[in-house]
Amino acid sequence: MRLTVEANGRARSVDVSGRDGIYRIVIDGVEREVDAAAVDDTTFSLICLGSGRASREVGLGPSPVPGETAVHMPAGVAVVRVLSGPPGRSGRGGGGAGLAQGTQQVVTPMPGRVVKVLVRVGDEVRARQGIVVVEAMKMENELRSPKDGRVTRILVDEGAPVEAGRPLVVID
Amino acid sequence: MPNALTKVLVANRGEIAVRIIRACRELGLRTVAVYSACDRTALHVRYADEAYPIGPDAPRDSYLRIDALMEVARRSGADAVHPGYGFLAENAGFAKAVIDAGLVFVGPSPDAIATMGSKTAARAEAAAAGVPVVPGTEAPLGPDATDADAGRIAGAVGYPLLVKAVAGGGGKGMRAVAREAELQGALRAARSEALSSFGDPAVYFERLLVRPRHVEIQLLGDVHGTIVPFVERECSIQRRHQKVLEESPSAAVTPDLRRRMAEAAVAVARRVGYTNAGTIEFLLDASGEFFFLEMNTRLQVEHPVTELVTGTDLVHWQFRVARGERLDLDPRRTLDPVGHAIECRIYAEDPDRDFLPSPGLVTALRAPAGPGIRRDDGGAVAGVVVPVHYDPLIAKLAAWAESRPQAIARMARALGEYDVRGIKTTIPFFRWLLGDAAFQEGRLDTTFIDAALEARGGRPFLEVPDEAEHLAIVAVALQAHAGTAAPTAAAAPPASRWQQAARAGGLRR
Repeated sequence: MRLTVEANGRARSVDVSGRDGIYRIVIDGVEREVDAAAVDDTTFSLICLGSGRASREVGLGPSPVPGETAVHMPAGVAVVRVLSGPPGRSGRGGGGAGLAQGTQQVVTPMPGRVVKVLVRVGDEVRARQGIVVVEAMKMENELRSPKDGRVTRILVDEGAPVEAGRPLVVID
Repeated sequence: MPNALTKVLVANRGEIAVRIIRACRELGLRTVAVYSACDRTALHVRYADEAYPIGPDAPRDSYLRIDALMEVARRSGADAVHPGYGFLAENAGFAKAVIDAGLVFVGPSPDAIATMGSKTAARAEAAAAGVPVVPGTEAPLGPDATDADAGRIAGAVGYPLLVKAVAGGGGKGMRAVAREAELQGALRAARSEALSSFGDPAVYFERLLVRPRHVEIQLLGDVHGTIVPFVERECSIQRRHQKVLEESPSAAVTPDLRRRMAEAAVAVARRVGYTNAGTIEFLLDASGEFFFLEMNTRLQVEHPVTELVTGTDLVHWQFRVARGERLDLDPRRTLDPVGHAIECRIYAEDPDRDFLPSPGLVTALRAPAGPGIRRDDGGAVAGVVVPVHYDPLIAKLAAWAESRPQAIARMARALGEYDVRGIKTTIPFFRWLLGDAAFQEGRLDTTFIDAALEARGGRPFLEVPDEAEHLAIVAVALQAHAGTAAPTAAAAPPASRWQQAARAGGLRR
């Protein structure tokens, strides 16, 4: 079975074969063999065969972005998406570490109430500058700009309740 | 004469309600829980002997309603009320309502709560007890004060100092002044900002402590006049002026400094006739000088680290003191720590997004265990939704070991075992922190997290190495190969949620 996945923003081609717990997996031409066993519905025990049987555990969880899976490991969390097509240009920055490019929205990750909008349309803003204050979980939380740019639209009024995932301000 | 307590109303929720109920069970006291609408199935409700609804989700409609709580106390026949921390724990009116109803308030007197709850009154009490407070001007500097007046007063406070708006808040009308030459410019800027922001140009001066530590002394007081101090807690690791990691003892406190801080704390508490559990917070500067900051007239979130290094149960003592028992703790035990303890507050927050809240459905959760690990939680398990209405603390994880390096290693080990999926937590931040050289060497101050966020410039605290990224791809590919879709936030099957709820029921008797 061949598929293309995107891991932390980079497209990778993967080929999986095997059964009965022993699988051969080729990622971008690099082959590895694993002994895989399900611990529960979303947790796998993997023993990497070949080089000393390294034992690892991985857990699958939801990601805020639909279609993506957050893979939890002791070393951290990697976000992986299964793409249907062949490897293509990724829409997200490489490695997920850099600052965002292009038109960006300031989105609230949690439901709450807009306490204050700190900018006006036309304002020049710097990356990580406070844009909107949202009250949630007993705290006032400052949502910051993902990039240097200019405020082009403000999509909420002060005092308005907002749901998680709601775009609040557009920065170009 | 001792009060015979039999039944306790726990006026709180979450991990602290569970912590208090556990203590009550150990002491043979019956327990009454209260809950808001969204907490109907919360662990504290299931674990208590009795449970009563007190209103809708918003705290002001439920956990902050003194009338509703007093009605539950009456209906249930409780003879004591424990307020926990947060909500009404430092509300003198609530303590008074409890006492006026003829019940025992498991905490200090309403007078002590009221006095220490006012910043200026508390500062005055500390000064009157001979305890240093952060030096500053007591009277505001009016608009008609001359430059010469300002210079003289500033010189008396000492540099560096802060010019602060009397009506200020949120950092507005505040200017740092490193030396005398900068004073007049800063004064003008602060006054004009104070006038435009608050309509009041009055300012005052306060000594600027450069990168202070936050160090605090836990106290217990009985009704017979005994006040017992405990070894200090180091709480400098803070975000938004709230603690996220605490330890005991502090790497910066010598036995002599500990003795002096403990004596100062006892002197303040004695002045206000303090009883039950409380904490005096100090700022400690690089030269070893300490200053009274404030008093918390309640049990603290971070009390477990003190319990771990002194072998004392502070919540047990709260009840024992409340029923009139004498504190007969050996000061050699309370001031000489055995080993080292660290507590990490596991918050539903995203450390990679400035610690913003991350409420929602927990899709999987495995908690650490093993030697030297203590975990207090409010019942966060797979299938539970962390509500948006309350403090985002989902658990407290504490580690004890023989030394600070061993406690750090043990905590790192435990955090590696902690698997929480579905919501973001502070776990990745702590794993980074425990590996940081400055933290390991004990070089801490209250600006630590802000400086770390600044230095990382948006990079995540845990960067996934290539090997782990490959494993992640392997896992997702295997799941695709097995023909099942990756789980999404919307698709936790009801059946497994019931299974998880059944597993979580292990606490029930």
